[in-house]
Amino acid sequence: MVQPLDIFAAASAEGAWTVSEVTKRAKSVIEAGLPPLWIRGEITGFKAWRSGHWYFSLRDKSAQIRCVMFAKQNFRLPTPADGMQVFVFARPSMYEEKGEFQLTVMELLSTAEGGLWKLAFEKAKAALTKDGLLDPARKRRLPPFPRRIAVVTSPDGAALRDIQAVVGRRWPVAELIVVPAQVQGNKAEASVCSALNRISRLPVDVLIVARGGGSVEDLWAFNSERVARAVAAMPMPVISAIGHETDVSLCDLVADLRAPTPSAAAEAATPDRAEVLVKCGVLGQRLARALRIASRHVVERLDRAGDRLVRCMDHRLEVSGSRLTAYGSRLDALSPLKVLGRGYAVARDADGTVLKRVAQLPPGKEFQLRVTDGEVRGRVQ
Amino acid sequence: MAEFSKQLERLEAIVRRLESEDLDLDEALKLFEEGVERLRVAREQLAQAELKVKKVLEIESPS
Repeated sequence: MVQPLDIFAAASAEGAWTVSEVTKRAKSVIEAGLPPLWIRGEITGFKAWRSGHWYFSLRDKSAQIRCVMFAKQNFRLPTPADGMQVFVFARPSMYEEKGEFQLTVMELLSTAEGGLWKLAFEKAKAALTKDGLLDPARKRRLPPFPRRIAVVTSPDGAALRDIQAVVGRRWPVAELIVVPAQVQGNKAEASVCSALNRISRLPVDVLIVARGGGSVEDLWAFNSERVARAVAAMPMPVISAIGHETDVSLCDLVADLRAPTPSAAAEAATPDRAEVLVKCGVLGQRLARALRIASRHVVERLDRAGDRLVRCMDHRLEVSGSRLTAYGSRLDALSPLKVLGRGYAVARDADGTVLKRVAQLPPGKEFQLRVTDGEVRGRVQ
Repeated sequence: MAEFSKQLERLEAIVRRLESEDLDLDEALKLFEEGVERLRVAREQLAQAELKVKKVLEIESPS
């Protein structure tokens, strides 16, 4: 015989569980029985809180489950929308305060082609297109000889090193203004916008926004509509080099020039100094040649005048020359040597005094006698 | 370097003018002198040997 249960007798303070005990027990039963798992469903009742946490439900035709995805898990993701089919990787649990069965979502993937990223990208792109920001006519020409080149990038990345090397080699004449920014993580969007805002108030000729390669999540800041609009609003031309050549970001699309790599961006931003120097040399040569040509008729006149001058002088010299010859022969006739040649001689004493009179030649006086071909010594007897 | 750009443009204009026009010598000489001076300044501007790098600290956006 089974005794009927006396439920009233069993209802005692000692026999009953408290609410907290039940939810706590339920939580441990759920967590022990349902390890983290992938679940497929449709998003409904999506709400993002100020804290960054997301709350929504996953449902199918006959059931639904409350879900939470905390900010530290969702910061890399574009925001999903109601009606979207997704996969979530989640830990089933009990939200004890409300006694609700709940999923704590750790991963969320869109099942649509390309995932959530693609959808968010297309949505932002459509908004930018609508505002004319992707119009090719908006693209500005890069300055041919930039004096100040600004760079927004990670301060310790390879992108900055590459840019610095290329600009240093090609155009060291410039000044590189580096504005460091966080290029990945949940602060990247705000950090890049802030850096852009800072540069927009500096006297800069051209800006390079660069980020090395990475996963689609890593590059997300450069696909944000906010960053794209900030890039489009920059007062100077912008060169964008985000990720690898195959990744095209919104930032690339709104920039005035898209470069495949940070090095290529630096190359596009600068002329080659060696080439500019050659150009200067050619201009210098053309300048000199042009002056020669411009002054040609003046030079011709000068030449003619010079020729006439020379002719005049030649004539004068010729006349003077024949007169000199005449003087020469007259001088020659008067030369003492000529006289000596005719048989005369000159007597001089030791001092060189010419002895012309008898009184100068007492007996015993020594003298030198100059005849036509030399000298002889002699003494008066 | 906006000034460099202007320098070079002016220099090119001077050369073209000297090459194409019948100028009297005075004018040609004046242009030539200006051209030589601009060439000198341009070369001087190109002489900076080392890239200057300046880091500007990011300031937090007010939002």
